Amino acid sequence: MSTARAATRWISADLRARKGQAALTVLAVAGILAALLTGATLLEEGTNPWRSLFGQTNGAHIWIHTTERPDVWRLRELDGVATSAGPYRSAPVTLVQDGKRPQAALRGLPAQLPEVARPQVQEGRWLSSEQPDGAVVERSFARASGLRLGAPLTLNTVGGSRQVLYVRGIADSAEQGFYPEWTPGLIWVLPSTLDRIEPKHELSEWVTGLRLADADATQVVSQRVLVELRQVERVYTWREVRAAMELDNRLLGTLLALFGVVGLVAAALALANAAGGRVLGQLRDLATLKSLGFTRGQVALLLVAEHGALGLLGIGIGLAAGWVLPVVLLGAGAAAPLPVLAIGAGAALVVLAAVGLPAWRGGRTPPIPAAPAAPPRGHLSRLARLALLVRLPPALVLGTRDAFTRRVPAFLTAFGLAVPMMMITIGLGVWATLDGFLKNPEQVGQSAALIVKTGKLTQGQAEELIAREPGVERSYPGSTVNALAPGEARSVQVRAIGGSREPYPYPVAEGRGYSQPGEGVAGQGLLDLLGVKIGDRVRLTVGGSPLIVRIVGRVVEPDLDGQVLSVGLDTLEAKDSVPPGYHALVLKPGADPGEVRLRLLSASQEGLDVQRVVNPAERLGVLRPVIAALIAVLALIGLANLLTAIGLGLRDHASDLAVLKAMGLTPRQVTATLVTATGLLVVAGVLTGTAVGAATVTGLIDLQGHTSGVGAGIGRPPAAATLVVTVLAAVSAALAVALIPARRAARAHVTTARLTHGVPSGRS
Amino acid sequence: MLKAHNLVKIYAASGVPVHAVRGLDLEIEAGEFVAIMGPSGSGKSTLIHMLGGLDPRTSGEIWLDGKRVDTLSESGWALLRRKKVGFVFQGFNLVANMTVADNVELPALLAGTSPREARERREQLLDKLSLSDRAEASPGQLSGGEQQRVALARALANRPALLLADEPTGNLDSRNTRDVLRLLGEVHRGGQTIVMVTHDARVAALADRVVSLLDGEIVDDGRIPRRKIAGAGEVIDLR
Ligand SMILES: Nc1ncnc2c1ncn2[C@@H]1O[C@H](COP(=O)(O)OP(=O)(O)OP(=O)(O)O)[C@@H](O)[C@H]1O
Ligand SMILES: [Mg+2]
Repeated sequence: MSTARAATRWISADLRARKGQAALTVLAVAGILAALLTGATLLEEGTNPWRSLFGQTNGAHIWIHTTERPDVWRLRELDGVATSAGPYRSAPVTLVQDGKRPQAALRGLPAQLPEVARPQVQEGRWLSSEQPDGAVVERSFARASGLRLGAPLTLNTVGGSRQVLYVRGIADSAEQGFYPEWTPGLIWVLPSTLDRIEPKHELSEWVTGLRLADADATQVVSQRVLVELRQVERVYTWREVRAAMELDNRLLGTLLALFGVVGLVAAALALANAAGGRVLGQLRDLATLKSLGFTRGQVALLLVAEHGALGLLGIGIGLAAGWVLPVVLLGAGAAAPLPVLAIGAGAALVVLAAVGLPAWRGGRTPPIPAAPAAPPRGHLSRLARLALLVRLPPALVLGTRDAFTRRVPAFLTAFGLAVPMMMITIGLGVWATLDGFLKNPEQVGQSAALIVKTGKLTQGQAEELIAREPGVERSYPGSTVNALAPGEARSVQVRAIGGSREPYPYPVAEGRGYSQPGEGVAGQGLLDLLGVKIGDRVRLTVGGSPLIVRIVGRVVEPDLDGQVLSVGLDTLEAKDSVPPGYHALVLKPGADPGEVRLRLLSASQEGLDVQRVVNPAERLGVLRPVIAALIAVLALIGLANLLTAIGLGLRDHASDLAVLKAMGLTPRQVTATLVTATGLLVVAGVLTGTAVGAATVTGLIDLQGHTSGVGAGIGRPPAAATLVVTVLAAVSAALAVALIPARRAARAHVTTARLTHGVPSGRS
Repeated sequence: MLKAHNLVKIYAASGVPVHAVRGLDLEIEAGEFVAIMGPSGSGKSTLIHMLGGLDPRTSGEIWLDGKRVDTLSESGWALLRRKKVGFVFQGFNLVANMTVADNVELPALLAGTSPREARERREQLLDKLSLSDRAEASPGQLSGGEQQRVALARALANRPALLLADEPTGNLDSRNTRDVLRLLGEVHRGGQTIVMVTHDARVAALADRVVSLLDGEIVDDGRIPRRKIAGAGEVIDLR
């Protein structure tokens, strides 16, 4: 109690003496925490829609697409299946809109909403037999296609007939992911309407949902389903749906998390640096406290309390800001309390660990204030003498000597700048990688800029139009089929494209491209999913018939988390590959995809279906503001570290300054000495950080690419020019910051030196 | 009260060992006022630091109130100092961030005094040392002599049984020296034990006993008869 009282006096006096620095520390921690929490909220928001939608719609865990109507009672009797939805008949259609031809599935549902997997109507109303031309559109599809209540829906069936329905309602569903990440889009109509629009049953499929007693039993149950049913076209589970609903994809989520964690480490370093610098500057006072009767532990505790309190205050403010910001700025739902608490507690632990070391160091000071460190001598004084010999300005020499003689503070300064600088470089590397995706899509497996489907035309007509288009370099016929992997509860995508003799120009990262039938290349995600490596054979089932492929290489695969197997078209059986489902067009260098698309559309009188390939970088566009914000926070941390270093330096030099002035240095020279001392450390720290960042960024992004299934081989370091500009900007900003207190110190009367040493001194 | 036996201090940090105190024996009675004199570098500060547990001894024994204390841990010493020992440093060592008032109150608070009592005690002490108007100043704004008096006030704040003072009058003019000595005399009469290092023979004359050091050894240890002090015109002059 008595100690607490005495300690409180000391802490409040100390905080009063360094308000600005304390405020900056709090701000830096708060900034990082707010960023971390905003990131987590966005991620949560990305996963939450599934969870809440699944709950609201009483969703099904497994969805099965079959060519024939399954016996739903047999499925219901399977172990683990609680109830079912459907089977519903579903027919593929194309929405006719100006220019765009989005694919949709027309699903027949009764006017009475089902118990399981019941769509949640958000606007308008559900289907009713009084309005046979009414349709309900899934919300993300409606938004992406610009469909409002009452709007006409013009549909082309596979058979080629055109029908018009009207949007009566817009509903949410947990049956599939959001459009356009998940295609085709979903439109519900009454079964009678479906029969009218698409009378041919052989052109449609049956969709059945199973609700399980245990959500984790999907694997076992889907195996059973596959045994039980013939003609299974496609099986997927709630996991795929949830993954598709997540904020864009795993890559973004993990990158955000990575930045958040590394940012927290940087904030911890800033805090440790601030505390450490303060403690180093206060060893004399701490010694005095001990001579008055503070024990070692009490001094350490007092320091933890003081610096930890700053960190905790920052955490509190950051949590509050991070809780409110996403709601206010992005209209997202407030974060769940549990992750907020977890992040807060984690950050508090990091903060306490960060201040623990300097506090322990402070506690260890002997009660007799250590004699001021031995005056600088040794290797650098020789350097200094040399510098004086060649007549360098004295400020430069003194500054240089100063910078390196006090090793621990010098290290803290350089390190405190190197870490944020390293992370800024990494952020710039991520930026450069995104730019690389956009500028050279062929390096991420997107040589083709346009995908052409024959639409209303015949194969021959389509191929002729493509051949006549001058902007097209090459056209690769391709088909995409779903294949069932052995022992997997879900389908994987097989992309058959080009011939084995004239393969599609994949960027092969390992091994080689396919060159004969029966060979294929896979993305990292597929290799991980099936647990195979290059050289292995995989056995898949496509539409009931086996497909055996030897994997000869790994390609960079940005689609579907890399879970794609690519083969030549001649590897598939003729029934799956003739005619090809689409043509992938590689354009001539300089040809504009938009113009080529318009030319093809007009040449075919809107008969062709031409789509631009979506670059993964466009989906990751959200990353750019995140990177920019992070760089800002990192710069703030660097600034906090810099101010710590300057404060420490000035305190250390209070007495030396008096001597320098007494020796006859002008205020300008004194300023130059101080700025040189800081500047050298700044340059050292900035250069080291940039070098380390540039050296590791490619590896880090590739590691990230590996875990996200895209595969290694995508990382790009930032351009040399960018790095040079960044380094120059950082150094000049730091020098500008260092100049202000240095000038103030140089102008101040030397008598302030007595503050710590009690030496009588003259005036300059 | 305080006893040192065969006390040795060797500084070995900077290469060449420095024998600052060499096998010193000293016994101080409770309530005694001892002045330690000697030329610069003779080991006075080193000795008094060791007696206060601020610097570990190299060998030898220290006994305080019948208990052996040289074997105490650093924390043990800290707790002991909090209760029993006040210390005035040669370099003052005021806490730079705290006001004069806070500096003086700190040891009292640490010893468990209530904040109000601590404040009253501080006002009393500063008043006696003519520093009342500087209570809210920061140490950096004080002159050397003022800092020295604040350091003394701080050492006396928790009414220590033992006051160890390293040149408490070193930077003072005769008027302030008189204030300080008057305060020390009061403390002495109150029964507190005082060990004071000084260069000033006139200040030493106030003590019951003068111990002279040379090269870390005691060369002279003389009790000054009471009567002699009372009769000395000079001392009366100082009061
Ligand atoms: N930390 C230290 N490291 C090494 N040697 C030291 C240290 N402190 C003191 N000394 C040496 O020990 C000897 C005694 O020093 P001390 O400070 O006790 O002298 P002093 O009698 O108090 O002198 P003054 O009257 O000048 O204060 C001196 O020779 C000094 O150089
Ligand atoms: Mg001394």
